[in-house]
Amino acid sequence: MDLVPLLVSLLYQGLTIAAFLILCSIGLMIILGMMNIINLAHGEIMMIGAYVSTILVSSGLPFFATLPVCFIVGCLTGYLIEQLFIRHLYDRLLSALVVTWGLGLILAQGTLLIFGPFMPSIEIPFGSIQYGDFTFSVYQIFLVAVAFGTLLGLHILFHKTPIGLKTRATMQLPEVARTIGIDQHLMYSLTFSFGSGLAAFAGGVLAPTTTIAPFMGTQFVAPAFITVVVGGAHNIITGTLYSATALTAVKTPVGMFLGAFAGTVGLFVAALILIRLCPNGLSSIKVFRTR
Amino acid sequence: MNLLKLFLGPRDLGQTKASGLVIAAFVLFLFALPALISDYEAMNFAYFLANVPLGLSMALIWGYCGVLSFGQVAFFGIAGYFYGMVAGNMVGIPGSEIIGVFTAVGMSVFVSAILAYFLFFARVENWIIPVITLVFTLLLETFLAQTAGYQWRVGTVLLGGYNGMTGIPSMRFFSGDPLYGYSFYYYALGFVTILFVGLRLFINSKYGLVVVAMREDLQRTELLGYDVRVWQFGVFLLAAALASFSGILYVQWGNYITPTQLGLVAAAQPVIWAAIGGRSSLFAVFVATVLMTWFAFTLSTQGNQLSLVFIGAATVVAIMLFKDGVVVSIWKKVSALIGADRKT
Repeated sequence: MDLVPLLVSLLYQGLTIAAFLILCSIGLMIILGMMNIINLAHGEIMMIGAYVSTILVSSGLPFFATLPVCFIVGCLTGYLIEQLFIRHLYDRLLSALVVTWGLGLILAQGTLLIFGPFMPSIEIPFGSIQYGDFTFSVYQIFLVAVAFGTLLGLHILFHKTPIGLKTRATMQLPEVARTIGIDQHLMYSLTFSFGSGLAAFAGGVLAPTTTIAPFMGTQFVAPAFITVVVGGAHNIITGTLYSATALTAVKTPVGMFLGAFAGTVGLFVAALILIRLCPNGLSSIKVFRTR
Repeated sequence: MNLLKLFLGPRDLGQTKASGLVIAAFVLFLFALPALISDYEAMNFAYFLANVPLGLSMALIWGYCGVLSFGQVAFFGIAGYFYGMVAGNMVGIPGSEIIGVFTAVGMSVFVSAILAYFLFFARVENWIIPVITLVFTLLLETFLAQTAGYQWRVGTVLLGGYNGMTGIPSMRFFSGDPLYGYSFYYYALGFVTILFVGLRLFINSKYGLVVVAMREDLQRTELLGYDVRVWQFGVFLLAAALASFSGILYVQWGNYITPTQLGLVAAAQPVIWAAIGGRSSLFAVFVATVLMTWFAFTLSTQGNQLSLVFIGAATVVAIMLFKDGVVVSIWKKVSALIGADRKT
């Protein structure tokens, strides 16, 4: 076996795992960073995204055209949740957490009642390429591009646009941001719907790689939560990036030698050790802080 | 009497002798209930009682200590599985069930200590604990669900994968008969009453004051000279022990346990009992646990697919509309009407 294809294969595995972690966690991270609320219905919102794209594909739309629809449906769902529930619980964060969880149960079971336990899966686009002894899925490489592209887009949004400046101001010191005329509640509802939109988009874009079922959200929940916990809420982009990198370094070897479930357990153990060393997340380490 | 004064202390409903009588009447009613129902119904009713320690553990950790944990069902499950493994391997040996109980509680507390060490000694932010405990519960469920097959066995006991562990021995004191029906009902009720009274005495004591102080303001409590890391660690272990008693009662009741019992959906149960009852009242959570499990039991025996939607909706409504919980709100309304209780 040649060394170069082996290294390429390792790189491929690492990047796809990192892309998966980034896609799963980015929507959650934005909401957490801004509002300090963990959206426990996150997995269900990803599930909604996957359902939207599956339903549209089976009614004849091309797969890539469904992704913007996923995003919009996610935004609307998030907006409704924020307006109806979260808004009233800003001073009770743990209660907000429990409410999103109750909503998650309703969404998952409601989907089961309406659409039944199974959905036809979407065919993976693009096919695969052969290099050395290894086969690589082109769609997985596309997902890597999407994940890092999303991070880059968010970086531009947060650091180069006026709305990004307002967002960062509200994140940093909400009271001061209010005194200079930033509508904090508006920023919160925008953030919550944007984060939910990204989650649904991620669900849609990951849909071809997984089985579509009402409780599919749970498979995203563990990696997403672990990434967010390790990354911390200090900086959305660097937090996600460093956390995904560190966790990939754990999951790739463990998953390769001991299987996928051991990989996830490895993630959990790594998260426990990392929060013990760095309780506020990797994004709070001085060297990494860019805010 | 000193103990009575402590029992009617300031950190639960029922602080006067008159309202303390209501609580005593409730417990006495539970003791008298078997006179009204059959042996079989008593066994069913024991199931509702078996859940009470789990509800109380949620009240302790979330309501009194201000730490939201989704890991209580995991400790419930760990205890259930360990009881099954220990007692199941020693069938017929007198006292094996009692050894099983102690091992099960010990293992649950041991696992919770590992988690609690990483969480509390790192002084993590408030939102991290529910997230980490939820992931822990999820991973444990996933792990147990894939333990099907003959290679997953401890001694003669199969873990059983998604179908779960079966044939778990019922409770038996040494060489007595296995408890069933009335006798199991009284065993469970005795267990639950001791835990309830003990926990109530604890929470009304000066130690309970520290627990509540940590909920109100961690930093101030620390500045008063308490090592909050150690205190939170201790309360977390106590809550895990409580949850594990439920797990043991459950497997002794039904003789089986499946990964579903400690899954994501099951994790919703104690949260909703605490939210509906009123999480900072042990008595309210006690009542809510019995009533809600009764309700859920009735729904599920009728094969109702909507039960999860109901559970989710009830959680949302309870949190949005009843900040203090339904049982506590009713109690306060009634006692204000008749002027019986001091303000809690």
